[in-house]
Amino acid sequence: MGSSMEEKVVAVIMVGGPTKGTRFRPLSLNIPKPLFPIAGQPMVHHPISACKRIPNLAQIYLVGFYEEREFALYVSAISNELKVPVRYLREDKPHGSAGGLYHFRNLIMEDDPSHIFLLNCDVCCSFPLPEMLEAHRKYGGIGTLLVIKVSPESANQFGELVADPDTTELLHYTEKPETFVSDLVNCGVYVFTPDIFTAIRDVSSQRKDTAILRRVSSFEALQPATRIPADFVRLDQDILSPLAGKKQLYTYETLDFWEQIKSPGMSLRCSELYLSQFRLTSPQMLASGDGTKTAIVIGDVYIHHSAKIHPTAKIGPNVSISANARVGPGVRLISCIILDDVEIMENAVVTNAIVGWKSSIGRWSRAEGVYNSKLGVTILGDSVAVEDEVVVTSSIVLPNKTLNVSVQDEIIL
Amino acid sequence: MRQKSVWTHPDCTETEIEALKAAGVTEVVLAINHQQPEVMLNFVKEYEKKLDMKITFSQETEPLGTAGPLALARDKLIDESGKPFFVLNSDVICEYPLLEMIQFHKNHGAEASIMVTKVDDPSKYGVVVMEEEARVESFVEKPIHFVGDKINAGIYLLNPSVLDRIELRRTSIEKEIFPKIASEKKLYAMVLPGFWMDIGQPKDYLTGQRMYLNYLRKNAPGKLLVSSGDDVVIGNVMADETAVIGERCLIGPDVVIGAGCVIESGVRLFGCTVMRGVRIKEHACVSDSIVGWDSTVGSWARVADITVLGKDVHVADAEVIQMSAKPEIIQKV
Repeated sequence: MGSSMEEKVVAVIMVGGPTKGTRFRPLSLNIPKPLFPIAGQPMVHHPISACKRIPNLAQIYLVGFYEEREFALYVSAISNELKVPVRYLREDKPHGSAGGLYHFRNLIMEDDPSHIFLLNCDVCCSFPLPEMLEAHRKYGGIGTLLVIKVSPESANQFGELVADPDTTELLHYTEKPETFVSDLVNCGVYVFTPDIFTAIRDVSSQRKDTAILRRVSSFEALQPATRIPADFVRLDQDILSPLAGKKQLYTYETLDFWEQIKSPGMSLRCSELYLSQFRLTSPQMLASGDGTKTAIVIGDVYIHHSAKIHPTAKIGPNVSISANARVGPGVRLISCIILDDVEIMENAVVTNAIVGWKSSIGRWSRAEGVYNSKLGVTILGDSVAVEDEVVVTSSIVLPNKTLNVSVQDEIIL
Repeated sequence: MRQKSVWTHPDCTETEIEALKAAGVTEVVLAINHQQPEVMLNFVKEYEKKLDMKITFSQETEPLGTAGPLALARDKLIDESGKPFFVLNSDVICEYPLLEMIQFHKNHGAEASIMVTKVDDPSKYGVVVMEEEARVESFVEKPIHFVGDKINAGIYLLNPSVLDRIELRRTSIEKEIFPKIASEKKLYAMVLPGFWMDIGQPKDYLTGQRMYLNYLRKNAPGKLLVSSGDDVVIGNVMADETAVIGERCLIGPDVVIGAGCVIESGVRLFGCTVMRGVRIKEHACVSDSIVGWDSTVGSWARVADITVLGKDVHVADAEVIQMSAKPEIIQKV
């Protein structure tokens, strides 16, 4: 298949819905997880920007089951900004990662694309999409997966796979295995040819005939057979596993960073990764300062232009400050995400923490996380008030709470 | 007078000695154990000069309890005049109405007089049960049932004859000596006016400090600090004149700052003691804690919740030190 200048590419980003991403609470109580800011930009913005680098990109679709109005503003703004049409498609019910793709196949095929990218919104990586496309064209299969080597101990949290070292063909795939299969895991970024739709359709129709060999939960077993929807198709178990070893699927290994943004603590880590990526790709996004006219900035820091920071504050490394935040004199911020309209008063310290929208941190008080403690990073939900001199350590504080005593290792309702 | 623990605030000792001088005492014997005389030696030389009094040591080589040290210092305590001598406990802070105590002792013709103070939870201490208004009937150590709300305040005025009752061995004055004198109806107790605090525990030490500063506010407000220029002072704060306080600080209430301390800008201090030679760096916050001599608290650090930093401890920048469920001993860095 020669590459033709007419060939168009479409990208589909799975954003999930309210029943997904519950581990992201309390931060996802007010805002869909895909719109939560990482390194100063909504989470979904990072894969979308990466898609912009794909040659002949025709359209980006966001597929999920949040209400349309939650994404309406964002989608129109980003379409204007990137000059690429971005559309949110709402699933009426969850269809599974492959089922969702199949459900909207007509729309997706509207531009008659030669290739379709499928990305998961909560993946944090360098998204080497043009390189993946080029590799995929060489391999000639129906799909290519982005894969990465991880530590053997952590591999079983993900989809483990075995690839042919010469041809990079996907030989074997298994989701969260009990025993060690391989240290190569599935990143959740794929490129397919339109043949993928045929493959998904075949899986649905074969479903009744195939014996279910995996262990089913009691809930599933009690369902009458007709209630398992034929159109609920998971990409990993239902497509990748059966097609492995049939010269249909290939792998592309990335040597860059890769994380999944499943918990608020991880969003802090991923913010750090993207900020350091900005240092290389778009350093103008990062803040700087030496304490004379503007605050001292250390390392990679993002500060929204509307935020007000006192010159005697010291910010960084790894800090993101969102719109209209106010940071007072003598404040120290290290490894944290400060969301919109937050006020941090004199001499306060925030480190390893996420401070939710409209919250306030009093004078000389502290919001502090400790990574290897039970609750880890400190999370303050929206409109939390931490009074003067109070210390919040490794705790999660739900929205609208006022703290007038210090707390440690607690979930404050 | 006995010295018990290493971080007893030198200012307390000075207060006691000043009170003694005001009552007409010209000679003080410090009864100390074998552990840390050097801490006291320097202060003693200062006080001798400053107050024009004779201050000597009586050092025990083995533990002698609460009465034994008196027998050890016998020769220093008795002269031909036969006058009574004071015994003060240095783990105590109060107003020291010693002249009134001398009068009380004369009026009752007692062999021994003790100060008692009223407390809310007497079962934490030894309760002094009184017979008529002032005579002591008995002592009850940590009573389970309520027997009275007056406890031994640790200040005694004793006739030289009391020394004849004390053997040179480990003896408890509350358990062995006083009960005997009480049974002979020769022990009287005066109720201490004003505040009293046993400052043996860090938490009680800070409470005692608060009470003492409150006492100063009423009786010697000139000793307390007022706001000046950029620094802000709230409530009762005492600072040595050689201490330096930076700008945009918020100090108090209930803070004592020792000689030569440097408090950098943007610092918050409340409910704490900062001992001689301490540096508190920018933007730090110290509350309800004691910072020992020559220590440093780093920038943006937080010292809270009855933390005790010993001598020469250095808290790094932006760390939190606090006591959670169990007290932690912080090793010298």
